[in-house]
Amino acid sequence: MATTALTPAASAYRSGLYEWLTTTDHKKIGILYVVNSFIFFFLGGILALGIRTELALPGVQFVDGEVYNQLFTMHGTTMIFLFIIPMLVGFGNYVVPLQIGAPDMAFPRINALSFWMLPLGGILLFLGFATGGAASAGWTSYAPLSEDRALGSVGSGQDLWIMGLTLIGTSSILGGINFLVTIFKMRAPGLTMFRMPILVWTVLVTSILQVMATPVLTSALIMLFIDRNYGGHFFDPSNGGIAILWQNVFWFYSHPAVYIMVLPAMGMISEILPVFSRKPLFGYKAFVFATAGIGALGFSVWAHHMFTTGLVFLPFFSLMTFLIAVPTGVKMFNWVFTLWRGKLTFSTPLLFALGFLSMFLLGGINGAFSAAVPVDFALQDTYWVVAHLHYVLFGGSVFGVFAGVYYWFPKMTGRMLNESLGKLQFVMIFIGFNLTFFPMHQLGLAGMPRRIADYAANAGWNDLNLAASIGGFVIAASMIPFLWNVFISLRNGKIAGDDPWQANTLEWATSSPPPPYNFDHLPEIRSERPLFDLRHGRTGH
Amino acid sequence: MSSSPRTRPSSGSILVGIVAVAVVGAAATWVVLNGSQILQSFFPPEPKTVQGHAIHDLYDIVFAIAAVIFFLVEGLIVWSVIRYRRKPGDDELPPQTHGHNLAEVIWTVIPTIIVFFLFFVSWQTLNNVEARSPKPDLLVKAVAGQFQWSFQYLPAEAPPDAKPLFTVSIPVGADGGLTLPAGKTTHLYLSSPDVIHAFYVPQFLFKRDVIPGVVNQFDLTLDASDAGQTFRGQCAELCGIGHRVMLFEVHALAPDAFDAWYQGKLKEAAATPTPVPSGAANGPKLDLVAQNVKFDKSALSAPANTAFTIHFDNRDAGTAHDVDILDAGGTKVFDGKDFPGPAAQDYGVGALPAGSYKFECSIHPTLMFGTLTVQ
Repeated sequence: MATTALTPAASAYRSGLYEWLTTTDHKKIGILYVVNSFIFFFLGGILALGIRTELALPGVQFVDGEVYNQLFTMHGTTMIFLFIIPMLVGFGNYVVPLQIGAPDMAFPRINALSFWMLPLGGILLFLGFATGGAASAGWTSYAPLSEDRALGSVGSGQDLWIMGLTLIGTSSILGGINFLVTIFKMRAPGLTMFRMPILVWTVLVTSILQVMATPVLTSALIMLFIDRNYGGHFFDPSNGGIAILWQNVFWFYSHPAVYIMVLPAMGMISEILPVFSRKPLFGYKAFVFATAGIGALGFSVWAHHMFTTGLVFLPFFSLMTFLIAVPTGVKMFNWVFTLWRGKLTFSTPLLFALGFLSMFLLGGINGAFSAAVPVDFALQDTYWVVAHLHYVLFGGSVFGVFAGVYYWFPKMTGRMLNESLGKLQFVMIFIGFNLTFFPMHQLGLAGMPRRIADYAANAGWNDLNLAASIGGFVIAASMIPFLWNVFISLRNGKIAGDDPWQANTLEWATSSPPPPYNFDHLPEIRSERPLFDLRHGRTGH
Repeated sequence: MSSSPRTRPSSGSILVGIVAVAVVGAAATWVVLNGSQILQSFFPPEPKTVQGHAIHDLYDIVFAIAAVIFFLVEGLIVWSVIRYRRKPGDDELPPQTHGHNLAEVIWTVIPTIIVFFLFFVSWQTLNNVEARSPKPDLLVKAVAGQFQWSFQYLPAEAPPDAKPLFTVSIPVGADGGLTLPAGKTTHLYLSSPDVIHAFYVPQFLFKRDVIPGVVNQFDLTLDASDAGQTFRGQCAELCGIGHRVMLFEVHALAPDAFDAWYQGKLKEAAATPTPVPSGAANGPKLDLVAQNVKFDKSALSAPANTAFTIHFDNRDAGTAHDVDILDAGGTKVFDGKDFPGPAAQDYGVGALPAGSYKFECSIHPTLMFGTLTVQ
């Protein structure tokens, strides 16, 4: 996968390894982000298959105790910090400068630095497996378990986890600043704020979240590192520390991080739905305000992960969590009414975007259950939560990512992906996803806690677990048509041309792939759809 | 709306269609055959506490509203997908609708009203669930440590650090677990000596974290009709390698039966504790070490028809272990008394006939076990 994407057929990218290692071109860095994220996606997926294999049947057959805890800890950490977030940053990197008519990001060298911290951070994280055990306190690494060398995290895995995340966090802060400056200062003439594509808006809000929230995570990581290695007692209650402090600081980052993980995916499908419906996005400005609203509210809901601690002011966080449903609902209705009375072409990007809509809907509605505090008392830390978060991050973000891959692959490589293989992959992943994660709602309601390697055979959880495990392997199998598709399309895919989708935004006004400086000339920008204006004049308005 | 013109389908799409119809048909059949059971699986278990009933009622309200919204929006999506397909050769643009301010106001205001409604109902339920009885009938401190529960029964109105009247240190089984009177209110303190755990009983629809350095507390009122039942509980917050074995049971007893049990326990505690039979240290001596909730050996052997001694060294600070011996039929032939580490004791085991036995820690049977060969 890595090597095939690194040497695509198109001439503009026929460049040597040295060029790829030293490039400051936002398009190449964007592709590096995407390829790197896919590598970690597959690694994280293998860890998930380990979890599902163990849970397929009651009894311990495969892994237990320490190793099992490493599996789910590294699965969560990898998927969040090394796959979803960098994958979306990668698309932002590739697409945002093109969409605003800029020749590159504002700080190309910082851009390269931000990228190269990621594989380094990832290697540090995975190094734990070779040094006596990777981190095993969950991706949330609650203290004091994450500080406990006797029965919690043995080996250096937890320290490597802290160092890896600190690097990844630094990359995220630098990337956020780079995007903010690029978007504010480098837009083409005529591209006012309210003519920016929605993807640019979502990357803008995401960048603000990254710049404001990530330093808080970094401070928590440093405190944990001091506690573990230099005799600090920040989170150690037996020496006057506060166990719950970790959770407050961690979630102050990690809840906004949920929006970092989903807003750009929302932006991507907001580009795709209008193109394949042949209509403008319904309620552009409402959509922008909703995005800003989600970003702002996102900072006031972190403690809804802590309802069962008994140590947070419940009504406030409950109300704020419920309120976040409002801007999210506005988006959902705007998407649906973008389809409404459109003329839909069911190409693979639209299928994945529709997958996003229908699955994210369920994940979002599920959130209302957890916002109702007493209901959360029943659901917290059960498989219900696992179902909920995967409907948001897989049903939402991952479907969005694949929509984006099928949509922008022609721009990145100059060649189209194969439609039949794309549809096959969609059907497989859609079925596999629901088979894996839907039963987890019922498992959670029936009382199955998360993060256990085994369950009693008479607990009544056998069938649902088996279904989820089969689904997991269906998801894995859906990667075969995808990888095959990328492989053959890079060699023999249909030549894309500048604008294969009849799209709306500026990246389609240049060649595929674009030249290093992006544009020979820019069309006049008089709306949020400059290319539509170019094709249809003012007839549509 | 009906009979929109269709194109000739390709063989590929016919195949996809057949597969889709087969899958949907099979799923529909299964749903029809198991309807009520499936419907039930979307709801939490039948609650067993007064607080649990309140939570279940709230769940029903949230579920009803969520289901309506889900089917409404999902229906709109599916309808759009079916109705607004682009016909081949149709190059005309659809109406370029940019938005509708009234629509935006409607789908901002109505959801806002709904979420405020949900917030107020859930707040109300929260007040019921969190309500504290001024005079609870029973006071128990549940202690969760890596990786076991113990239950300290405290005198009325005692603070959390009071000396317990008696302690039940085995979390599971007929002579262990959290025994409570049905129909009465128990006030629980939660305390952890090490990392964060969570007290969770699915049938109570409730969990509360057990946090070191903090004493969490809540009231629990078992339904009077639950007397005689046992409920499964489990730690719900990742607490280390033994997280999944942190099980416990809650036994609901009718008030009379509870009083008898309670008095019996008080008497037991008042009697001078009998020393562990270490005097019987005759015969061959077997060494067994417990560390990090694991035995150091998975196999032991002893001579047949001869008494022998197990020197058991528990190195897990604050965690109790024991050694029980079970015959091939699963009957307990030796029951060692559990004790917290770090400490060592000698268990004198009576003569056993030749055969293969299982030894285990009765508190962590899924993590700590092995085979004892008597020959």
